[in-house]
Amino acid sequence: MNDKNIMESHMGTTAIKISARDVQVYYGDNYAIKDVSIDIEDKTVTAFIGPSGCGKSTFLRCLNRMNDTIDICKVTGSIRIDDEDIYDRRVDPVQLRAKVGMVFQKPNPFPKSIYDNVAYGPRIHGLAQNKADLDDIVESALRRGAIWNEVKDRLQSPGTGLSGGQQQRLCIARAVATEPEVLLMDEPCSALDPIATAQVEELIDELRQSFSVVIVTHSMQQAARVSQKTAFFHLGNMVEYGETGQIFTTPQDPRTESYITGRIG
Amino acid sequence: MSTTSLLVIAILILATLGYFLASKRAISTAGGDRRKLHSLPVYYGSNAAMFTAIPALGVLLIWLLAQPMLVERNVLSTIPDKLIPEGSSIGLVMSDVRRVADGLEVVISLGTMSQSETLRLDTEQTDIRALLAGVGAAIGSDVQPEVLEAAQNYRAQTKTGQLWMVLIIAPLALIGFALSVLAAKATFRARNTVERGILALLVLAASLAILTTIGIVFSMLFESINFFKLHPWTDFFFGGSWAPNFRGDSDLSILPLLWGTIYISIIALIVAVPVGLFAAIYLSEYAGPRVRAFAKPLLEILAGIPTIVYGLFALLTVGPALVRVFGRGEEGLLGLEWMSGATAVLTAGLVMGIMLIPFVSSLSDDIMNAVPQSLRDGSLGLGATPSETIRQVVLPAALPGIVGAVLLAASRAIGETMIVVLGAGAIAKFSANPLEAMTTITTRIVSQLTGDTDFASPETLVAFALGLTLFVLTLGLNVIALYIVRKYREQYD
Repeated sequence: MNDKNIMESHMGTTAIKISARDVQVYYGDNYAIKDVSIDIEDKTVTAFIGPSGCGKSTFLRCLNRMNDTIDICKVTGSIRIDDEDIYDRRVDPVQLRAKVGMVFQKPNPFPKSIYDNVAYGPRIHGLAQNKADLDDIVESALRRGAIWNEVKDRLQSPGTGLSGGQQQRLCIARAVATEPEVLLMDEPCSALDPIATAQVEELIDELRQSFSVVIVTHSMQQAARVSQKTAFFHLGNMVEYGETGQIFTTPQDPRTESYITGRIG
Repeated sequence: MSTTSLLVIAILILATLGYFLASKRAISTAGGDRRKLHSLPVYYGSNAAMFTAIPALGVLLIWLLAQPMLVERNVLSTIPDKLIPEGSSIGLVMSDVRRVADGLEVVISLGTMSQSETLRLDTEQTDIRALLAGVGAAIGSDVQPEVLEAAQNYRAQTKTGQLWMVLIIAPLALIGFALSVLAAKATFRARNTVERGILALLVLAASLAILTTIGIVFSMLFESINFFKLHPWTDFFFGGSWAPNFRGDSDLSILPLLWGTIYISIIALIVAVPVGLFAAIYLSEYAGPRVRAFAKPLLEILAGIPTIVYGLFALLTVGPALVRVFGRGEEGLLGLEWMSGATAVLTAGLVMGIMLIPFVSSLSDDIMNAVPQSLRDGSLGLGATPSETIRQVVLPAALPGIVGAVLLAASRAIGETMIVVLGAGAIAKFSANPLEAMTTITTRIVSQLTGDTDFASPETLVAFALGLTLFVLTLGLNVIALYIVRKYREQYD
């Protein structure tokens, strides 16, 4: 009980990073997200859990407007990051995505060298003054991706040649290199083995120092391990949102309880 | 009706009969219960039809190919050498023999003479030439007794051959029929046997294509060897000029033609690669599904236009338009005198480039679509624009495949004929001026082989050497292209 109070008071000091109100998403005729409102805190890991097809990935993709790349997808409602409406006309989705990085379900390194994979974002956004600068950015990103020691001797070999877990950490390093403020992770461990998963989870915990991390996961254990806040999605609705410990021990909604005890899925 | 067609009909009837008998027998051995059969009744029937018809028809086919050759060889050996006139060949005499023999068969079938009457014919008493002309078989000269004798011989042997053919093939069909109908019992694995038959058919089709290629190469190779016996290979490969004449001292070098071919192909690729590639980028990366569904087939219609139509387009539209721009002096658009005729390297190259656009765009489009969406998402997720994503992720990933597509297009350009026949001109020379007429390997092959040609002179045989060189060239390009494309395909698996 004491721990929880300390945690809550700690949480109370952190600012709201993302604030979504009445978000609706339609995929053509399919009503995918219904009335989702959520406040996501800075320097916190927020987990989205829920059964397949419940809309958690769709909602995640709203946060950096990746859904714009799908023609039939329509988003309404307001999503504000740092009190700026990201669906405002004046906001360039390309700029937004530099600020809100994303790591995907399947590791997707570009068919380039490890170095070029990480340098991709900084080069596009002109973050480096010169080659030495870029080298520093790449090194620090790879260090923060907890993969530097494994790849420092072969930065010029192709990123596709790494193992699955290394590829995913490379993708995280690649996302970190553009210095985003929010990091979105769409089931980042679902294609990885338990050891690689543990490494990535450890990494997520470290990344919390600098970013607001939002992670979609199918594994409730993973949500319990890495996140401070958890949101439960069901059939396009956000059913419950709160402290991770509270969601997993004393869920308020019967649907949440059914899900975490394995009765619906 | 000839013996052969009667035989074929008989075999087919027997096969049909076998089909029904076998399926009926299979059901009856299962006591009328289809579920006790190993295979569906249709398989027992097909199996019987297969074993009745295929061996018999196969042997028949081989027989029909082999018999005339054997008979001809036998008859040829009986023709005395003195029968061959000066400047003629044994082949011409043999074709006379064949015509007399066929003519006599027609005489019988029309009822002018009986079988035994034709066998008693004599050149002394009957004007055979007139007799045959009466039934529509024209013979070049009066029939000599030796030719008549050879023709009678030919007829006799053909007749014996046909008799044997029936005697061998009819029992073969009957044996196949009997065995397969008897085998049609409930436990017989008819389905597996029929499927093995289908497999054999597939293997046959595949090997036919390969064997044809090998056959083409060999026929070209033998004619090319004949050519190199008559003409020094050093002149062909390293000479500097192409000037065939029929007095016998021709310069037959491939190099000026190769230069024209390559020059025109390069211009074609300069046109086709950027346009095709940009079209592919638009279609695969930017166009919405509606535009794509409409534009892609439209672009591919270009690929369906016959090349002779492109040739006409070159000759009648593009060539004169270029002359208007670069030629005609004061009357022209630029006041230049650079271009005198409509046929030029540029004309052919431009039109060939247009022809290749759908080729490049369609292949590149497929290749870019094969780049996984996850790579695009990854790049967009890092804040790259769609254009940056295409330039830095999609194109590099698709590059090997695109190179393969360009090489395939190049090999088509090198082998293209009709556009250059009409658009490029006929002058073989080394020149860097794209407004001059030049000629290519393919157009020279056409011109060396059309018209009244003698297949023993180097001027004609050079066409085969040219063709073989072209074949090796395009084959090499295709192999490289396919190798690159295949290597790339494995990357995402």
